[in-house]
Parts: sequence; structure tokens; C-alpha cells
Amino acid sequence: MRNALGREVPDKIGSRKVEPYAGAFAVRRTGWKAPRPQKSCVPGENKVLPSIEAAIEATGLQSGMTISFHHSFREGDRVINQVVDACARMGLKDLRLCPTALFGTHAKLVDHIKAGVVSRIEGSMNGPVGDFISQGGKLKEPATLRSHGGRWRAIESGDMQIDVAFIAASQADAYGNANGINGRTPCGPITFCMVDAQHAGKTVVVTNDLAPYPAYPLEIQQGWTDYVVVVDEVGDPEQIASGTLELTKSPARLRIARLAADAVVASPYFKDGLSFQGGAGGVSLAATMYLAEAMEKAKIVGGFVMGGGTRIMVDMLHKGLVRTILDGQAFDPIAVASLGKDPAHVIMNPGLYANADSRGCATYMLDAAFLGATEVDLDFNVNVNTHSDGRLLHGIGGHQDVAAGAKMTVITVPSIRGRLPVILDRVTTVTTPGEVIDVIVTERGLAVNPKRDDLKGALVAAGLPVRDIAEIKEEADRLVRPLGKPVFGDEVLAAIEWRDGTVIDVVRKVERWQ
Amino acid sequence: MPDQIVVGSDAKGDCRVVVSPGKASAVEVVTGDPHLFERGIREVVGQTLAALAPEGKIKAAVAVTDQGALDYVISARVEAAVRTAFPTVAAIAPNVRRRPSASDAPRRSRLYAPGNSPRILVGIELHGADLVLVDLEDSVPPAEKSAARVLVKHLLAAIDFPNEVWVRINPLTLGGADDVREVLLARPHGVALPKAESRDDVAALAKELAKAEMAAGARIGSTWSMPILETGKGVLHAEEIAAADPRVALVAFGAEDFTRDVGARRTPDALLFARSMIVAAAKAADVQASDTVYGNVDDEAGLAAESKLARDLGFDGKGAIHPAQVPVLHEAFTPSEREMEEARAIVAAAEEAEARGVGAIAIGGKMVDRPVLERARRALKLADRLAGRGKT
Repeated sequence: MRNALGREVPDKIGSRKVEPYAGAFAVRRTGWKAPRPQKSCVPGENKVLPSIEAAIEATGLQSGMTISFHHSFREGDRVINQVVDACARMGLKDLRLCPTALFGTHAKLVDHIKAGVVSRIEGSMNGPVGDFISQGGKLKEPATLRSHGGRWRAIESGDMQIDVAFIAASQADAYGNANGINGRTPCGPITFCMVDAQHAGKTVVVTNDLAPYPAYPLEIQQGWTDYVVVVDEVGDPEQIASGTLELTKSPARLRIARLAADAVVASPYFKDGLSFQGGAGGVSLAATMYLAEAMEKAKIVGGFVMGGGTRIMVDMLHKGLVRTILDGQAFDPIAVASLGKDPAHVIMNPGLYANADSRGCATYMLDAAFLGATEVDLDFNVNVNTHSDGRLLHGIGGHQDVAAGAKMTVITVPSIRGRLPVILDRVTTVTTPGEVIDVIVTERGLAVNPKRDDLKGALVAAGLPVRDIAEIKEEADRLVRPLGKPVFGDEVLAAIEWRDGTVIDVVRKVERWQ
Repeated sequence: MPDQIVVGSDAKGDCRVVVSPGKASAVEVVTGDPHLFERGIREVVGQTLAALAPEGKIKAAVAVTDQGALDYVISARVEAAVRTAFPTVAAIAPNVRRRPSASDAPRRSRLYAPGNSPRILVGIELHGADLVLVDLEDSVPPAEKSAARVLVKHLLAAIDFPNEVWVRINPLTLGGADDVREVLLARPHGVALPKAESRDDVAALAKELAKAEMAAGARIGSTWSMPILETGKGVLHAEEIAAADPRVALVAFGAEDFTRDVGARRTPDALLFARSMIVAAAKAADVQASDTVYGNVDDEAGLAAESKLARDLGFDGKGAIHPAQVPVLHEAFTPSEREMEEARAIVAAAEEAEARGVGAIAIGGKMVDRPVLERARRALKLADRLAGRGKT
């Protein structure tokens, strides 16, 4: 069947019935959310177990069940590999993995998939695992990719049931209160897994630093935690910032950042109380910096800035350029340190920031947001998941949630990467619909969504190089001969869920090339 | 005949082309993603080879290792390698239509770009510079000179520069004549001559330009020139240099070489004589003057201060070594709103005086001198020319 964007999606994916995407805000759910197994407690119970193996045993984890993880240690995570290795040693098979994101450090999961230890993936399937599946590696069922808010929603609603959640914590007490702010190896908030901890069949906190009761801040709470395991290493905080915090030196990228910041400055939202999403990656960081400069010059005090927290945001807070940082994950050690110290640097969770099936999202309070893309198209649709060769290499992250919420969503992309034009007639995969995208900024100028003539007027009046998106595309296309085009077969590798649980697109396997 | 000619590099945005003369004609392509890119690259290579040898095949194996190079980069690398292997093969003469520029076009910024680096050249036309100056001299090592001039030719042919594009050649005796011959095939607006020291240097360039214009089928005299004064001798001869040839549209100052040549330290005081000399010489010859570059890219305040000094001295523009410097230069060398108001008032008063047949021009009872009127007219003309240029 075809969804509201005209994308062909199957009626069923694996064992589940597909609800087609109907529009960014078309689905309004009612009814009751999923319950969690009841459990009582009495004084004097011991939750501490000596090893991950002991926890696997105690939780009753069996072949075919679902385990979940968070990604707050990013490239430095040591827990996912430890747990899945232990499962393999104990002879478990056919596990369903439900991580919030995967990184290069998890490349060995590929071996576990080959060996049948892991057979299904929900949540995020990026990096080496995504590449492996794209190149013909087999899962038992197509993967399901969800945004930060979408994952929270799916767990809360019961669409995705987790049997055992393994939660890495840089500090925990023996009773199961845990956080990522303190301890020997702090990684920043671990709130992505709050929903796992509250809804999983069993919740296991894995820490390398057992603190006296109560460990705080109370990100993960004793009332949700079944077991606490102490290991030598949960993660390396040095590797949190890998790749995301290089300030770009490229003139073209700096120009994109400058234009993106200028667009916000020219918009009606540039006034006291301006709230925006920064984010990691060279261009977003530079755009945030340029915007901060403009705010300082115009003596504007922003409202809140939304993370991934970075040193640039912390700097803005200290200068009084924003009142608050709302931070769901930390992208560098300075942001991690600030979280523990500054009360205006507030820990946020994806339920609070992004869950469409809730009574409020922080992203809906955003004025502006800077987001990236692997591809965009003439309808302003955005792809962040696949490359133009069809390979599935990235998760959704908060892209959908932020774009849906912000009053002015700015996509920053080069018009061409090497020989690869970035603006297409039609994106390979839709992650985020053009309906919620307002401006696309390239080094060749800005394109404003025709739905936003008001914004276009403001940008033109400010003298910004506003152009037709087709014109920018043609200019970039002229630099290279046309690319080979993948022809996709019927086999579905992954479903891309819109944040409300409908399917906005699917990733199919490349059958041949033309 | 050498076994192999290698041109280009493995840097991002570049490609490495290996031509093996004598081997069976074949093209091999290595690229990050063959499905996406191989066919296109083969097309570019094939077309370039056909353009180089319209009569028949070039007997050589050609291997291209691509690092995300644009089509024009691949063409340039293939052409440079083939012509090195087969010196009798003629240069490709691309079909270029370039909008001519006025001798006094706005030149608030002249943005340098190294002519041997595809990665840095990508998008160099997008930063709003009034004049992009692609460099074949100091930024290109000797071994890369011949490949660079071919690359610059292809860049100029492929990219539509919104404002002016010029090429800085090598001194004429050090390959500059070859530079002129090659790049003029792609019709730059002008050519910058480094280390100009006399009227003869400028005349020699004019002769080379005329030859190359003829060869390229262009109108004789259609290419501007820009002597760069960067030695004691050059600065002392500024007057004869600026007036040497009608092609001269502006003279530029090069402080780095100048300070080295005369043994000065780079302070505003040490440069004052040279700067003032150059401005006076330029204005005497009715051409523009462009100040030297400011080397510290991260010091925006320093750049702004030096630009203001240059503007106060009478310069029309200044060099930039990074696109981020361009907006600062434009800020400094664009007449301010207040200056514009003044200029409009002066010109209006002059028109009124003329209409009434009165010789003297007065504003609010104050007499306005002729040179002030001329300056006002120049400011309005510059503003008029800049009106079509967007914000940078």
C-alpha cells in the first residue's frame, strides 16, 4: 500500500501489521498504555549480583527474548558487547536487540548476528551492523528504526516489549538508583533508558562505581531496578566526543553554518526568549556559535537551548545568552561536568522531549533547530538513514522529533559531497517529511519550503541568497555526470517508523544497478 | 619515453591519473563506490581523451583513482598527464563565454585560492568575493606547476563565477608565459603579475597576453592586468608600472615579500611609505589600488583594523587568504550609509548648480570642491555596481 507520501510500504513487516504514515500529526492515539509485570518488595533484599552472567541467569533471560541498551557512552560504550558476549557464551540464541543507537565499537555484533545469537533489531541499526545488513547479512525479521521519541512511545505503548533492560551507569547504589553524571567515568544523562527501566520485564543496572545509598541524581530509580551488577568497565568517557565535536574548517561548510545562523537571525523568532536546538557535527556547532555571536551583538537573551549538550552551549549559559540548557545526552566532557554542577543545565529524557503520545514535548517549544541530512529532495523530504547507494548507515536520532516540533527547522547540507549530489528529485529513503521542514541551507544558497512564504519574505528582506531548490540542485548536478541508480527489490531490510508509530518508508535491498 | 606519468593526488576532492604510454589503450577506474560513480568517471575520461586526440586513439593505458573529484578536476588531471606523456598533443581549448568586466569593477576583495588544490577550489566562487584570484605562483610547488595551470583552465571553464575571476601567474621567465598561454584558453577577466618591478615587466606581460588572446580567438586587449608590487624596486617604480599599459586595471601591494626584500618588520609604520606610494601611483594613472593580505585568519578585529587603515589611505580593496575574511573587507570598503547620504547630497547640489548655470557648488552655505564631487560620484557609482550583489 502507499502511505500519505506516496511511498510503497508492505501491509505486514515480519509479524507486525503496518500502519501507513498518514501525515505528521494525523494520528492521535487514545486508550491505555501497556502495563509492567507487578512486583513487590520487602526490607532487606539484596540486588547486587557478581557478574553479567549471574544477572542473565537471575532475570531468566532466554533465547528469543528482547534486550535493550542506551548509547550515552557512544563510541566508548563497553556494556553492549559485554552483555551480548555473555549471552553467546551462555548459549542464548535468537535475541532481539533494542538499542537506542549503535556505534563503530559494536562492530562485533555482526559476528553475533552471523552466529544467530542476535536475530532481530529494533530501535537503531546504524554503523557496521546497518552496513552488514545492507550488504546481504540476514536478520530473521526486518529491523524497525525509531526516533528517540518514537522508541519511547513504542515501549510505553507496548508496541515494543523489552524482557531485560541492561543499563550502563557511571554510578549506582546497591539498591538500584543510578546515574551517568557522577562516578569515575561519567557519560552524561542516561535517561534514554528510563522508559526501558520502567517497562522492561526485568531491569539490570550495570555499573563500575558502586556508591553509598542514595546515588543521585535519580535518573534510574530503585523502584524500577531488579538487579545491580558491578563490572570493571562500563565505558570510556574520552570517546563520547569522537567525531561529533570537530569544528569544521571547510569554507563551504562554514558558509552553510553562517547562512543557517543568518536565516534564524532574519526570522521573526530572533528576539528575547529565542529557544533552539543545537546539536553536534561540524556545521551545527558552527551555526550555534554564529547564532550565539549574533545574540550577543543584538543583546538578546534566549530561552532554552536543547542538546546534545556541548561546550558551546555551556559557554552560552555562562555568558547569560540562554537561561537554560535542556540536555538529553552529553556530547563532550565539558557538558558532562556542567550537568552535575549547574542547576540551569537540566537533565531531560526522550519522553519529556519527544514523545508524540504524551501530554507535551519539549521540541514543540523550540523556535528553531539546525539538523543535518544525507539527502534532501525537491519536496523538502529528508533522509538521514541511508546513503544514495541504498546502504543503511545511520539511525534517526531525534531528527523527526525536533523537525516536527520546531517552528523553524533548518536543514544544513552541502549541495554536493565529493561526486555525490545531495539534493535529489526524490530521497532514497524518507526519514522526515518535507511537511515539517522549513529551510534547506546549502553553500549555494537557501531554499524555503513553499509552505513558508512568510519566512521566505523575511529572509529575502534580510538580503539572504534565497533560491529555488530546483535551481540549487541543477547547479550542483552540473558539476558531475549522473550517478548510477540502485534498483530496489521487494526484500525489506528495515522499516522507518514515523514518531507516531506509522511507517513512513521502508529500506529495501538493492537488487541491481542501472 | 617515461614508463608512467602520474598527475593529481589522493587528497579528498582530487584524483590520481596514471598514464602509461605505449601500453594498449585502456581505461581503469578505481572509486569509492563503483556502482554510483564509475560510469560517470569513464564518460569524463573518454570525452577528455577524445578532445585531446580527435584524430585517433592515444596509445596509452589510463588509470584513474578517484577521491570524490568533480568532472572538471578529472578532465584536468587526464589532460595534464596525457600532455606530459605526449608533449605534441595540443591543449584543450574549452568553449567559454565570460561576461566582460569593467576596468573599474568593484574590487573590495581579491580572494586568493591555491591553483593546485581541488578541495579548496570547490565552491570558491560562492563566497561573494569581488575578485577570485586563483594562484599558480607561491601556493603551487614547482613540481605541480604544469598540472595546476591545466586544472585552473578547467576550473575557469566549468564554473560560472558571479563576479570576476583572475589568475596569478608565475613571473614570466619562471613559467609565467606558459601560464598565460594555458589559462587564457578559459578567458579569465585578468592576470596578476607577481613581483612587477618596471614598466617593461608590464609590457612583457601585455605582449604575452596579446599572443594568447590571439591564439584563444579573443579580442586583443580584452584581458586586464594587475601588477603586484612586492619589492623595493617595484614600489619605487609604482608610477611607471601603473601607467605602463591600458590593460592595467589595478595595482596590488604584497607586503610579505616587500618586508623581506627591504628588511622591514611588518608594522603599519614600516608599510606606510609603500602603501601611500602605491595608492598615489594608482590614482595618478586612474586605476584601482588593492592592499596586501592579512595573514591571521582567526583575528577578525586585526583584519578590520588593517582594512580601515587601507581604506583611509585610499585603497579600493584588499587581499583575502580565506573566504571568512571577505565580509570584513566588504564592510570596510563599501561606502557607509552616512557617506552615501553625503555623496547624494553633493551630487544633487552639483546638478542643481549646473541647471541654474552656477559654477560654484554649495551645501548649506559651504563650498564643495571639484575633487569632493568626483569622490562622491565614485561612491555612488560603486554603490550602484554593488546593488546587484547579495549579502556575503
